[in-house]
Amino acid sequence: MRTLPIAALFFLLAGCASVEKVESGERSLGERMLVSLDGPWNKVSAPDREPAVVWTMEGRPVDELLIYSGIKNEQVIHATAMGANRKNFAFRSGMQPDEIVAMFEGMLTRDGSTFKLVKLAPADFGGAKGFRFEYSLTRKVDNVQLSGLGFGTVSNGELFALLYQAPRLAFFPRHQPRVEQMARSARIKT
Amino acid sequence: MNRRGFLAGGCACCVGGLVPGPAAAQAAWEIPARFARPDAGSDEGGLWSMMDREEVRLRKSPFSLRDPKLQAYVQDIACRLAGEHCPDVRVHLVRTPLFNASMAPNGMMQVWSGLMLRVDNEAQLAAVLGHEIGHYLARHSVERLRDAKSRSAFGMFIGMFGAVGAVGQLGLYAGMFAYSREHESQADSIGVLLMRKAGYDAAEAAKVWENLQLEIKARPDGDASRSPFFATHPPAADRQQALAELARASPAGAANEVQWREGVKPFLRDWLHEEVKRGQHEESLALLGRMIARSPALADYRWARGEVYRLRAKEGDLDSAVTEYLAAIAGGGEPPDTHRGLGMIYRARRQSPEARTSFQRYLELAPEAPDSALIKSYVEELRT
Repeated sequence: MRTLPIAALFFLLAGCASVEKVESGERSLGERMLVSLDGPWNKVSAPDREPAVVWTMEGRPVDELLIYSGIKNEQVIHATAMGANRKNFAFRSGMQPDEIVAMFEGMLTRDGSTFKLVKLAPADFGGAKGFRFEYSLTRKVDNVQLSGLGFGTVSNGELFALLYQAPRLAFFPRHQPRVEQMARSARIKT
Repeated sequence: MNRRGFLAGGCACCVGGLVPGPAAAQAAWEIPARFARPDAGSDEGGLWSMMDREEVRLRKSPFSLRDPKLQAYVQDIACRLAGEHCPDVRVHLVRTPLFNASMAPNGMMQVWSGLMLRVDNEAQLAAVLGHEIGHYLARHSVERLRDAKSRSAFGMFIGMFGAVGAVGQLGLYAGMFAYSREHESQADSIGVLLMRKAGYDAAEAAKVWENLQLEIKARPDGDASRSPFFATHPPAADRQQALAELARASPAGAANEVQWREGVKPFLRDWLHEEVKRGQHEESLALLGRMIARSPALADYRWARGEVYRLRAKEGDLDSAVTEYLAAIAGGGEPPDTHRGLGMIYRARRQSPEARTSFQRYLELAPEAPDSALIKSYVEELRT
């Protein structure tokens, strides 16, 4: 019986090791989105966040950049394997910005975390009309207070969005300019 | 079982636990004298110490609902139930939009906002708190502790993990480590006894269960057994029936509905907002349907139901949302978001004048709203 927890710990740590460097320069995110990076990021394996691709500067769970590229109508925006009893949050092509933000809010608070919208405004993203939003999130698992920043647009019925969140006091302000730059550089192929 | 899970087991989770026990057992049971703090070197003393540390964290938690008036109100209800144990019961209100309450062996009681949203009156809250106090008075957690200690993995996990983490998480796990049916039955019997002694109508205990069932049955899968709360408990109908039977043994008592409504009124809008944003649309509609049947003119309920319909957006939902929003406005005192929701639907339907009017009204009522920039852009767009 003693081997079971040790094995669990081993696999937990092994999972943490799945990190790949993303070099600066122009990068393709999925089939239709391109961004230009002015510095490197770390891409991590995060099955719990699929279909988002997850990048981080400091390592999860400190900070994470969730990249949604080409999410289709009716596609669920989070992993469904864990917590199967809970409601799924799915994108609909006809969603307005406030509904998309509400969808992300629902997804981010499935674990009991609390979300507060700070600002939602129109903004160009990916070369199209879109929106930008800011939020605060109190994470249930450890009570850490995060700040978050998101960008999104719907192009040809598909959702493209970036969400970045990090502890509000030090990490978020440190990396926010880099995320803003990345969002400004985003281009979506039509 | 990890440490957090064990600690959760140390708290009495009652959501699914309103299990009636035999009336004879209730008659034979006597309220014990106040408990002395167990010796620190004992297993029970260790459990108390852990819970003390959790309570310190809970006090600092951003999820703690710090409102002295509401805190005092709920604490007073708990005290009326606990009798001479009142000084040992410390109520902590927790902002979490789920139906739950729990009580640790050291007297730390958590009451979640989702529970306070759902109960109709003081007596229904007293039914849940009384059940929790029942676990406490019968010291069921000590038996749980000794059962947990007999499991080989327990000690290893305790040593492996230092920090326990958020106390608010405990209740989520508690259902998975539920008490035995015997414990639940006894706690429920004690709860009804305490309700009677405090002057509450014990018939309200069965209604708590009945109301919760409405939400669970409304889930898309309609399968209550998938909930951890129900996996370890007797069938709902049996429990509801037995609770009603216990109450019939001694009818009468107060429900205090008006007092409860006044007490929670300042928080209702926030709690409804959190309920809507859970995204559990079918459960929310069942809950709101019940609330609207009780208070059809309350604008907040109509707004919340409109929001749920709008966000669900199934066939016919947007028409229903408009109906609800208009009913909220007709009732007066509607949340500003009512006008935003209406504007969103009118805009999507290309009813530009109506959309513009609704958005303008929203901006008048909530000029500092976080989405005001977006709404202003819509107003401009609709001018052209």
